[in-house]
Amino acid sequence: MDQPATSSAERLSWEDVLSSASKAGSERLFLHRLLQFFCQENDLSGAALYTEIDESFERQASCGVGSFPVSIQDGESNSGERLELPGGLLIYTSTETSPADLSGPLALALSSTLQAAILRLRLKQESFVVNYRGVELEALYDVGLAIASMLNLEDLGEEALLRAVSLLDARRGALYLRQDSRYLLDHTLGGDAKSELPLDDPQIQLILEDRSLETQDILPGACYLMAVPIGSDGRPQGLLVVADKESRQGVGKFQEADRRTLSLFANQVAIALETAHLHREALEKERLERDLELAADIQRRLLPDVVPRLEGYELAGWSRPARHVGGDYYDLLSVRDRRVTAVLADVSGKGMAAALMVSTIHSALRLLVNQTEVGPDLIQHLNQHIAESSAPNLFITLFIAELDAPQNKVIYVNAGHNPALLIRASGEVEELGSGGLPVGLFEGGVFEAGSFVMECGDLMCVYSDGITESLSPSDEEFGLPRLKDLAVTLKNRPLGEIVAAVEHAVTEFAQGQSQGDDQTLVLLRRQSLNGSS
Amino acid sequence: MTEMLKVSVDRRTPLAVIYTEGYINNQGGEEIARVAYDLIDNDHKILLLNLEGTKIVNSIGISILIEIIEKMLEIDGVLAFCNLTPTIEKTFHIMGLAQYARIFDTEETAVGSLTA
Repeated sequence: MDQPATSSAERLSWEDVLSSASKAGSERLFLHRLLQFFCQENDLSGAALYTEIDESFERQASCGVGSFPVSIQDGESNSGERLELPGGLLIYTSTETSPADLSGPLALALSSTLQAAILRLRLKQESFVVNYRGVELEALYDVGLAIASMLNLEDLGEEALLRAVSLLDARRGALYLRQDSRYLLDHTLGGDAKSELPLDDPQIQLILEDRSLETQDILPGACYLMAVPIGSDGRPQGLLVVADKESRQGVGKFQEADRRTLSLFANQVAIALETAHLHREALEKERLERDLELAADIQRRLLPDVVPRLEGYELAGWSRPARHVGGDYYDLLSVRDRRVTAVLADVSGKGMAAALMVSTIHSALRLLVNQTEVGPDLIQHLNQHIAESSAPNLFITLFIAELDAPQNKVIYVNAGHNPALLIRASGEVEELGSGGLPVGLFEGGVFEAGSFVMECGDLMCVYSDGITESLSPSDEEFGLPRLKDLAVTLKNRPLGEIVAAVEHAVTEFAQGQSQGDDQTLVLLRRQSLNGSS
Repeated sequence: MTEMLKVSVDRRTPLAVIYTEGYINNQGGEEIARVAYDLIDNDHKILLLNLEGTKIVNSIGISILIEIIEKMLEIDGVLAFCNLTPTIEKTFHIMGLAQYARIFDTEETAVGSLTA
């Protein structure tokens, strides 16, 4: 890109030279024009101007005939005559002009311009360094924001490696992330890298101690490696490796300042990785919450939305799950010949597994009660089905009762459930105890049925242990006596009122304490002779 | 991933678009400079560097880009950039490249503006 010598047809005027100085960023052009003008006025066929930088002379401008190298070591040149100028050197091709002839105002202007060029060059270099420090600081600051807001782990890994390699002027790099007992290669840039490194690989310690010559096979072909751990808690989340620091002359070693910069950067990456992991977990939790909401909605639909109407009797049911989905279940079913079946079941465990079992028992019971009267056979069928289809650690306590309204007779089976309460109109309380082990516990289980006649004003109260075992802040249980007292006191009140009173009493008792179990209540009452409750 | 910067050129009239793919480092920068100077020698005075395929640039690459900008200023030419990643655009602003080289979002807007 050297300027041609000025021919006689295109001689430069001093105004031409000056006009080239007025444009922004035209310093080099001005120097060229000035050198051309200098050659023209001194009848030189070619010349080049050099500035002294770090013991070598770098060409800043050249024109005309002659071969002028880009760089001259120690000012020695075979390219022509030399004239030393303050801060630089003029090499020119002419056999008729001696250096002594090249004095005067133009030489002075050339020398001044050369000095200005040197100053400008230094200023430019320093400005570049300062600006690039700005880029480094910005990158360190920015990386915290940019990659911390990058919640996709795949994108985050790539961005972190790109920024690290760029920040350190490295030619190559690799990012390893820890998985179990090894570091797995997550991303690489500029060449291949070992796909995995065991945590106890001695090369890791060597590379962290900057003994890079012994660790080159991590990035095959690289000459100078530097690595820092990601995270500094003794169990790094990964390794950030960079290789071959670039300069205009080639590649070289990284300096201690580079290691500090990379360590700072790696700390930011560690925070970003942690944030991304937490975000992924939060997303997973959110998805699970949505699933649970959906499951809760499905489970709510399993509960009867309409209570069967049976002349002379009243029925009610209520359930409050401890989580989104629970293990309690109740049903109220009209069956043949003015009969009604009431059931309350409590599946061991909570959450999704228990909810799935509730769904199973709901389907099975709906099928069975339409085919078989409540009694040991029905529960044995149910037990067999549940034992075969459920996980070994899941079982169900269950109380099921069938009312034969014309006979006012109730047949019930209590399979390992809390004793239901029969509050007689007189206020006397009978407990309807167990007639077998919980359903699903053992295949071939044996169950016994019980029965009683419902007199006018009698109230049957079936409940889950989530009510009686509800805890106060001082870990006291609500207890069966409190429930009995409530039921006896309110036995003649409308069933909705009794349900509300039990719910209120349990809630008040807990005083906001989170409850670990579902709470369910089923009530059946024979109306008094006058038809009122 | 990135091995060597790939550079391709679309010579139009009056401008030439230089496409890069990969890391603009010392080697990558030198390759861009070689292509740019070749275009300048062939009287292309408007150069557009489309960096859509470049996600990373280091300080050596930037210094070479600055040299190309200076060369363009000397010949009264224009160098512009388009399709920069936000990180590279921010770096160009801090390093002062944006003072002497225009930056466009897309090649289409760049070509429209530079040839208007």
